[in-house]
Amino acid sequence: MNEVVMQHMTDLPSTHLLGTGTPMCSGCGGLEALHEIYDVLGKNTVFVNAAGCMTLLSVYPFTPFRGSWLYTAMASAPAGAQGVRDALDILLEQKCIKKEEDLEVVVLTGDGSAYGMGLSATSGAIERGLDFIYICYDNEGYGNTGQQFSAATPHAAKTATSRGSSGFAGYKKDLFSIWAAHKPSYVATVIGSEPLDLARKIEKAKQMKGPRLIIALAPCPPGWDFNPRDTVDIGKLAVKTGVWPLKEYIDGKVIHNIPHHRVPVEDYLQKQGRFVHLFTPKRNEEMLNEMQARVDAYWDAVSE
Amino acid sequence: MYRIRFHGRGGQGMKTASRILGTAFFLECFEVQDAPRYGAERRGAPIFSYVRASRSPINERGVITNPDLIVVADDSLIPIPAAGVLQGITDNTTLLINGHDDANTWKHRLNINCKVLILPVTEEVEDRAELPFVGSACVGAAARLIGVITEENLVEAVNDEISSLGADLIKQNIDQATQAFELMAKHEGLVKESTSKTPLDYEQPEWINIPFENASISAPTIHAAATSVEVRTGLWRTLRPVINYDRCKNCWWVCSTICPDSAISVNEKSEPVIDYDHCKGCMICVARCAPHAIETIPEQLAQEKEKQTA
Repeated sequence: MNEVVMQHMTDLPSTHLLGTGTPMCSGCGGLEALHEIYDVLGKNTVFVNAAGCMTLLSVYPFTPFRGSWLYTAMASAPAGAQGVRDALDILLEQKCIKKEEDLEVVVLTGDGSAYGMGLSATSGAIERGLDFIYICYDNEGYGNTGQQFSAATPHAAKTATSRGSSGFAGYKKDLFSIWAAHKPSYVATVIGSEPLDLARKIEKAKQMKGPRLIIALAPCPPGWDFNPRDTVDIGKLAVKTGVWPLKEYIDGKVIHNIPHHRVPVEDYLQKQGRFVHLFTPKRNEEMLNEMQARVDAYWDAVSE
Repeated sequence: MYRIRFHGRGGQGMKTASRILGTAFFLECFEVQDAPRYGAERRGAPIFSYVRASRSPINERGVITNPDLIVVADDSLIPIPAAGVLQGITDNTTLLINGHDDANTWKHRLNINCKVLILPVTEEVEDRAELPFVGSACVGAAARLIGVITEENLVEAVNDEISSLGADLIKQNIDQATQAFELMAKHEGLVKESTSKTPLDYEQPEWINIPFENASISAPTIHAAATSVEVRTGLWRTLRPVINYDRCKNCWWVCSTICPDSAISVNEKSEPVIDYDHCKGCMICVARCAPHAIETIPEQLAQEKEKQTA
């Protein structure tokens, strides 16, 4: 394992593989994570992309990638990855390509596909032990179509389809645990605002075989309603408040980065327009307490 | 039929502007189409939306190429060819510009003979992507220029379209719309309806016959790496981050790593360099630079300075 490489921030790559000029929104937290991930994965990577914001990355004749990219329907990116992996394996077996020409097959989808429509195809792929990496950029809603709620939308967030005074009534699905329950090689959560933690986890995943699944929380300026300059600040707060636990599933165990001093959840909520109804015109003390209690309970269970 | 095109930047409310104008027309018993251009609603990026209104059924579809009225919320877009502000402009078109320069300056600058009107800028902001209420002001002015929309229906249309924003914001938008409506009183009815086209008016494009090619050449396959660099997303920028190298600690990883667009690279001297052809102006680098070595300058100001020194 090659973990030594990523000891310090200055060990991170200083040149970037992902091309400029993409149509992603200014300040996109998903693109930030992807460009950091791509630098670690390297250019021998083939992306299999389900419908979502990042479908727009490769619009003919433009692509930010150095290699191939395949577009699939929203529910079937892991199935597409299976086909690509099989084809590469056949080429290897028939000695049509050399070992060093092999590619890492990487599924790239948003939360709409990962948490919802594509979950069944992912489950099947993990069952079959498919050798692939899955990257979910999770902006907690159907961002590309105007931020309707998805299975990843957090409780009380305002979305295009949850406009009432209490926001989204449901709760964010625990995809990490669902994925981990399949006992794949690796599951991890990351965020672009913590590039060193992200690079270490991607480096670790890269050294492994089998299904390796990554969820990157992706602060979304238009969808979460904040100024694009705050993408990294909000990402850091998601971690510091304990709302977005940085964790790994490896060898049957879940390991957390436990935040030393968790700051109040409302510090995170307050910076986002999608939660403004919790603060104005009247502070919704009950809801804020409930949300804090939920995060506290999570970390209490972790430290037991 | 009236054909109106709104041009602005993502965040300036052009989509809502077209909806408000469409609703106002509808309240006047017109048949209406209003739509934003799909797929490019990115903050700061040039966008447009359009409205067709007619007393009889509308058979035209798609983007308006022969506008009777062009409304420009952000005058910095006019010289950008990719924004397509002047597309299809003729001597019969009316051009309404939200900006500082007077009408004659624009006529001279653009070498055009059509009617040009100025909607004076009411508020100065550093970040043009956040021009407040400019959409409503544009609608108010457009409604008066068209001359078939009453103030009551204009107000009702604003109410209808932004009802979810809360009483305060609704009131400010209505104030902006009605002030602009008043301001254009002496030009009421300046924009005239133009004739509807029929299928008989359709002109065949000049076809070019291309011989059948092998799929390896003719299929839409991209053979080069990172071709997206050909897309100049720097056009989206309303604020410009500028590195002060005296303060930069040459840490190189912070701004370069967290820039979502890979628009900051590091040179041999381990100094970060911003690629202004592609920087979208999100300002994450400004927010996160620990020694505060990156400054914010309004894009227009930065361009004017560049012109002076050039």
